[in-house]
Amino acid sequence: MNDMRLLERAVDQTDIKISARNVQVYYGDKHAIKDVDVDIQDKTVTAFIGPSGCGKSTFLRCLNRMNDTIDISRVEGKIMLDGEDIYDKRVDPVQLRARVGMVFQKPNPFPKSIYDNVAYGPRIHGLARNRAELDEIVEKSLRGAALWNEVKDRLAEPGTGLSGGQQQRLCIARAVATQPEVLLMDEPCSALDPIATSQVEDLIDQLRAEFSVVIVTHSMQQAARVSQKTAFFHLGNLVEFGDTDDIFTRPQDPRTESYISGRIG
Amino acid sequence: MTDATLSAAPAAAPKPRASLLIADERTRKRNAAESRFRAYGLSAIGIALIALVVLLSSVLTDGIGAFRQTYLTLPVALDSARLDKNGNRDPEDIKKATTLTYGKLLDQAVQNTVAQQGIAIAGLTEKDVSDLVSKEASAQLRNRVIANPELIGQTVDARVLVNGRVDGYYKGRVSMDSAARDSNTSPAQLQLADALKDKGLLATQWNWSFLTNPDASDQRPEAAGVGVAILGSLYMMLVVLVLAVPIGVAASIYLEEFAPKNRLTDIIEVNISNLAAVPSIVFGILGLAAFINFAGLPQSAPIVGGLVLTLMTLPTIIIATRAALKAVPPSIRDAALGVGASKMQSVFHHVLPLAMPGILTGTIIGLAQALGETAPLLLIGMVAFVKNFPAAPPEGLFDPASALPVQVYNWTQRADPAFFERASGAIIVLLVFLLCMNILAIFLRRKFERRW
Repeated sequence: MNDMRLLERAVDQTDIKISARNVQVYYGDKHAIKDVDVDIQDKTVTAFIGPSGCGKSTFLRCLNRMNDTIDISRVEGKIMLDGEDIYDKRVDPVQLRARVGMVFQKPNPFPKSIYDNVAYGPRIHGLARNRAELDEIVEKSLRGAALWNEVKDRLAEPGTGLSGGQQQRLCIARAVATQPEVLLMDEPCSALDPIATSQVEDLIDQLRAEFSVVIVTHSMQQAARVSQKTAFFHLGNLVEFGDTDDIFTRPQDPRTESYISGRIG
Repeated sequence: MTDATLSAAPAAAPKPRASLLIADERTRKRNAAESRFRAYGLSAIGIALIALVVLLSSVLTDGIGAFRQTYLTLPVALDSARLDKNGNRDPEDIKKATTLTYGKLLDQAVQNTVAQQGIAIAGLTEKDVSDLVSKEASAQLRNRVIANPELIGQTVDARVLVNGRVDGYYKGRVSMDSAARDSNTSPAQLQLADALKDKGLLATQWNWSFLTNPDASDQRPEAAGVGVAILGSLYMMLVVLVLAVPIGVAASIYLEEFAPKNRLTDIIEVNISNLAAVPSIVFGILGLAAFINFAGLPQSAPIVGGLVLTLMTLPTIIIATRAALKAVPPSIRDAALGVGASKMQSVFHHVLPLAMPGILTGTIIGLAQALGETAPLLLIGMVAFVKNFPAAPPEGLFDPASALPVQVYNWTQRADPAFFERASGAIIVLLVFLLCMNILAIFLRRKFERRW
C-alpha cells in the first residue's frame, strides 16, 4: 500500500495542495486520529468516508485548525499547505482559515441579511475596496453557489429565512466569497432533502474547477458521485486512500470492502 | 434479534383487547396525577398573586397620603423693621433674620387671620393657634424672602404647611379621640382647622414637594421628602452603571470566550457564583474597610455607595452575561471562524449582538437589585440625616446623600406615625423606579431580539 502511494505521489507531485504526514490527534486521553498520511490534490474533490466516530470529521477540522477551538484536543505530525506547515508556531490560524474555507454539517448562516452573510468574509479580509467591488464579489459568490437567481431580488432579507438547501448554498457562497484555495465540507448534505442534496452535489462538481474540495460524507453513493479521490477511515486509522473508482470497485483492504458492502458501519 | 422477536410474538397468549372508550387503571392514575399537579401549580400562582395584591394595596393605602399635603393659605405681613433693620436690602443683612423672626411673623399672621375670619378659639391659647402651622413653615418663608428680597415690607399670600397632626386629621391618621390623648394637638385645634377649611383657607392638595424636599427632623414630618434620597440613588446608579456594566460584561466575555478552561478558571467561576450569594451586608463591611477606612473616601457619599453596589452587582451581571453568551449557538462561532474571522471578530460581530438582549436584561435586573439594596449602605453611613442636596456630579458624588431604601428604613425608625406614611410613600417611589427599570428591560429585550 505504501508503495502504491509513493508511486502516486511521484506522478502528480506538482498538484498536491495539502499533504499530511504522521498526523495524530488526541482528545484528552483519547487517541482519535492515528498516524494518518494523506495527500490532497488541487482542483480535485477528495471524499473522506467511514463509519460514525472513525475520525474523518476530526481530521477534516485539522486541515484548517478548527480543532484549536477545542481546548482538550492536541494535534501532532505535519500538515503542509503548499509546502508550509500549518501547525508551525508562526502560523496565524485566522490567516489560514481565510485560505482554507469550511462549510459545516448544519447550515449556519449568520442572523444577518443574505448580502451581509456573503459580504462578511470579504469585509473582514479587506478584499473589496468599495461597495461596487463588494457587490461584484457577492454576486459572483452567489452565482458560484448556484443561488443568485433565487435570491437576487431579496438580498436584504435574512439569510436564516431561506430553505435548508438554500441556506447551505448560502454558506457555500459565504465560504467561496473569501476566495479560499481549499474548501472543506463536513457532511454538507446531511441536513438536506434529496433535491437540495443533488443541487449541492452539482455545485461541488463545479467548484472543483477552482478549488480543492475535501468533503466528509456518510453516504457512499455521494462519495462515488462527487469525488475523484476517496479516503476510508476506520477507528482513527486511514485504511485506504486512492482513486474513487478503485476504492469502490477494487478495494484493497478487507475493511474497506466490508464497509462499502454495508457490513460494518 | 428482530426476527426472533417477531416470530415469538404470535406464540404468546393473545392479550384481551381493551376498549379505548374506557380509561384503564394506569391511565386514570396518570390523569389524576396530572390534574393534581395542575392544581398545585394554580394554587401556587394564586397564593403569589394574593400576596402581591395584599402587599401593593397595603403600601398604596399607607403611602398614597404622602403625596397629598394640607396647606394653609394666609396673608403674612413681612415687616421690614424686623427683617431688614438697615433698610438697604443687603442680602447679608436679610440673612441675619433667623427662622425665629419669621416664626413670630407667621404666628402673628395666623392669629390675625383667625381673628379676621371671626372664628371662636375658646379653649386655645395663642400658642395653640399658631402651632397650627408647621415649624418648617418659617424656614420656607425665610427661603422665599431671601430669594426675593423685594417682598420685604409687603403683605404676601403665603401657602404654608400645617403641622403633621392636623395634616394627619385630614388623611384619617388622627381622630378627635386620638387628639384628646395627644400632647401635640387637641380636639379644639382640629376644630379650628375645620373652621379654617370651611372658610376655604385650609386645603389638602397634591404634594410635589414630597418628591423634591429633603428629609426633615423628627418634629416636622409634614416637610419631609425623598428629594435627596432620589438624587443619592440616581448618583449611585450612575456609578454602578459606569463601573459594573463595562467591567462585568468584559469579564464575562473574557471568561466565556477567551479564557482557557482550566482549574484556575473553574475556581474563578465557582467564586463568582459564591459572591452572588454573599449577604449584602458583608459587602457593606468591605466597603467600609476598603473605601472609607483605607482609601479615605467620605462617609455617606454616593461614590462609596456606588462602589459597594458595584461590587455587589458584578456577580449578577457576570452570571447573566455568561448565560446569555452560552446561549448563543456554537455554530455561529464556527461559521465566523470558518470564514477566517479572528476570535474577537467572531465575538464582537456575531456572538455579542445575539447575546445582547440577555446581557441587557441581566444588567438592568442587577441595577434594580442594587437600587433596592439597603444593608451595605447602612454600614457606609448613608443612613445619616442629610438635609442638603448633593451638588451636580462629579463633585456631588462625594457629597453626603441618602438613598431611597435607606430613607424608608430611616423613616420607619421614627416615632411619629406621619413618618410611617412617608416611608410607605418612599416605597411607592422606589417601586415605581423598579417598575420603570423592568419595563425598560422588557422594551430593550424586544427591540434587540432578532428572531431571524
